[in-house]
Amino acid sequence: MKRLTLSIVVLLLCTVVLAACSSSNDKSEPSGTPSAGASATSAPSESAPAAKSAKLKIGLPGAYDVTSKEIIDGFIAKFPNIKVELQDAPWGDFTSKIATQIAGGTSPDVWLQENAVILGYGKRGVAEDLAPYIQRDLQDGNYIDTLFAAKTPEGNVWGVPHGTNPIALAYNKKVFDDAGIPYPTDDWTYDDLIETSKKLTKKDDKGNVQIYGFVGSISITQGWFPWIKQAGGQALDETKTKSMFSDPKTVAGLQSLVNGINDGYFTNGDFLTANGGDVQSFAEGKAAMYFLQYGNQVSINGNFPDTNWDVVKIPKGAEGKRYVPTVTNAWLISSKASQDSKDAAWEFLKYYLSDEAQAIVAKSGSTLPVNKTALQVLDGDTSKPLNKKAFTDGIAEAGVTLDENATWNEWRIVVQQVVNEIVDGNMTVEEGVKEIDAKVQPILDGKS
Amino acid sequence: MQKQGYWGYLFTAPFVINIILFIAFPIFFSAYISFTHWDLFNPPEWVGLDNWVRLFKQDSFWVSLRNVLFFALIFVPLQTILAFVVAYMLNQSLRGSTVFRLLYFMPVVTPWIASALLWAWLYNYKFGMINWLLESLGVDPVKWLDSKYWWLTIGSVAIVNVWKGIGDSMIAMLAGMQNVPKEVLESAEIDGANKWKQLTKIVFPLVSPMIYLVMLLSTIAAFQAFDAFLGMYGALDAGSVQERNMVPNLLIYRDAFLLTKMGPASAMAWALFVIILAFTLFQRYFEKRWVHYD
Repeated sequence: MKRLTLSIVVLLLCTVVLAACSSSNDKSEPSGTPSAGASATSAPSESAPAAKSAKLKIGLPGAYDVTSKEIIDGFIAKFPNIKVELQDAPWGDFTSKIATQIAGGTSPDVWLQENAVILGYGKRGVAEDLAPYIQRDLQDGNYIDTLFAAKTPEGNVWGVPHGTNPIALAYNKKVFDDAGIPYPTDDWTYDDLIETSKKLTKKDDKGNVQIYGFVGSISITQGWFPWIKQAGGQALDETKTKSMFSDPKTVAGLQSLVNGINDGYFTNGDFLTANGGDVQSFAEGKAAMYFLQYGNQVSINGNFPDTNWDVVKIPKGAEGKRYVPTVTNAWLISSKASQDSKDAAWEFLKYYLSDEAQAIVAKSGSTLPVNKTALQVLDGDTSKPLNKKAFTDGIAEAGVTLDENATWNEWRIVVQQVVNEIVDGNMTVEEGVKEIDAKVQPILDGKS
Repeated sequence: MQKQGYWGYLFTAPFVINIILFIAFPIFFSAYISFTHWDLFNPPEWVGLDNWVRLFKQDSFWVSLRNVLFFALIFVPLQTILAFVVAYMLNQSLRGSTVFRLLYFMPVVTPWIASALLWAWLYNYKFGMINWLLESLGVDPVKWLDSKYWWLTIGSVAIVNVWKGIGDSMIAMLAGMQNVPKEVLESAEIDGANKWKQLTKIVFPLVSPMIYLVMLLSTIAAFQAFDAFLGMYGALDAGSVQERNMVPNLLIYRDAFLLTKMGPASAMAWALFVIILAFTLFQRYFEKRWVHYD
């Protein structure tokens, strides 16, 4: 009998501990299984909530490498009634950390991740739809279009940007001067880029390349995506539901990039590895031109302050049309948070998008603010590159996302794998695009 | 029940709870998840055998399995044999054997990130030392880590693993060898047994339990290799590893945490468990033929 009692006590103990593990911290209605694009979240209150006391858990991937301590401290000082708790993890580990937190119902109330990942969260019902909040409290006119990077065709907005990172054509002035070749201009086409790269490529007596004309990156943002777009091709169609890699124009764009690498006037992977990566190769004058992401300027200015360089807009494509791919990291609010915490989180995001906080974002140089007033801060900025208009005007004129949708993370991996194979010489571009289409379409159809 | 029985239960309770909570529960939960679609957020949705059926049709899983089998096939015998040879040499009363022991053990305590960086340089196609050596011998350079032949890539990673793991296995075998009674070897020598005879007829049988242990553990380690591959491929995450060079653990991690497909990932994890179990049982079956415990 005693043994039975004891067993029951031990079992009860286990049950208590187990139950504690699966706590649920939300007071709101549990969400059902939301259908794609439908949110199971409550709308915000009619008017902006009066500043009442609330708790707010903010998730910071990469701690203050990505966002700035000044902004967080500014928010805490401004809203003493909101009790802020910070949770950080290295950028690389954050994805798996947050995944397990979401599963356990212990995620922060508001956190930052890649825009594409956030679209996936929106589809699964993890993110609060911010469209009504934006409509109630923000003036669209004060922001560049990228404010809506996380907007779906159905009209949900799953996050707001912390900033955005477009690309521009960076050029190393010293290499151009040494070769006696005029600098690039905003009117350049991709053909100009290719021809000038050939002229700038310098070999030694043994035929080994010393200086390449251009950094032949094969990543999505600085590599295959802009090359496909400039040729008039597409990765996905307008509805983001059809794979368009077999389109002859897409093939032509990809082929131009591959030719540059194979024919030796764009850098190859081995050269970049041996010379410390793409930023370093460009900064040290081993590659004359580079599709530079805005945030990379921080590392060039920090590690190579003496490099003489500037930027112009990304060249125009085959049909005279310009495309400027941009990458956005965005904040989302957890749909599982209590309404008080959601309101507090929205206060935080409003503060984050304010002139004051966005000016700090602008000064950091790691990303472009989406607030137009803060963008003007850059006009008086004398740090390199001087021509920051190449980024700001470029994105205003021709900014495009990387065809982001809810399955972006999955289909992007597939494309990258095949592009790597093509560049390694293991398959032709034509073979590659067939394989991409065959693999990407099922993912888009939700059958992967 | 006697009074002291209570204390027994009470003292073991933390361990029992720990096992139930952090080992038994996740095991059964992942088995359940393998029959569902679960995105970590919405409640798991029962799909029956769907994940398992797909698993058998999924090329990437079979490719990763082929890779890891090949990896184990190179890594386990090579590491076991080399560790045995090194241990035997270090067991002779050589001068400076402590220094050698230290040298062989160094890679074990080197973090994977550092080892991987070093070897990635050695293997580099254009600037690596290995290809430079080959070229000076008049042989064409080889693409070690980005070859179109999967076996070359996996083989290259296996070699690094042997280099890194040899010290560990060597220490285990050395411990076994030092337990071999000197008198036995001396009397064998008096009876006219040469070194080779002593090694094969005396040392090997007596050290065989250690060799068996090393084989078993390195087989399991081979199937679970993760950071070795990630580091050697220079990949930031499991998403950027080429599919033809994948191993099951990277695939499981990718599907579970990067793509939040918990169902297929759990099915894969269980399939891997069954395979490792089969291999272990296979090794146990042959154990009694060559391992001597007396």
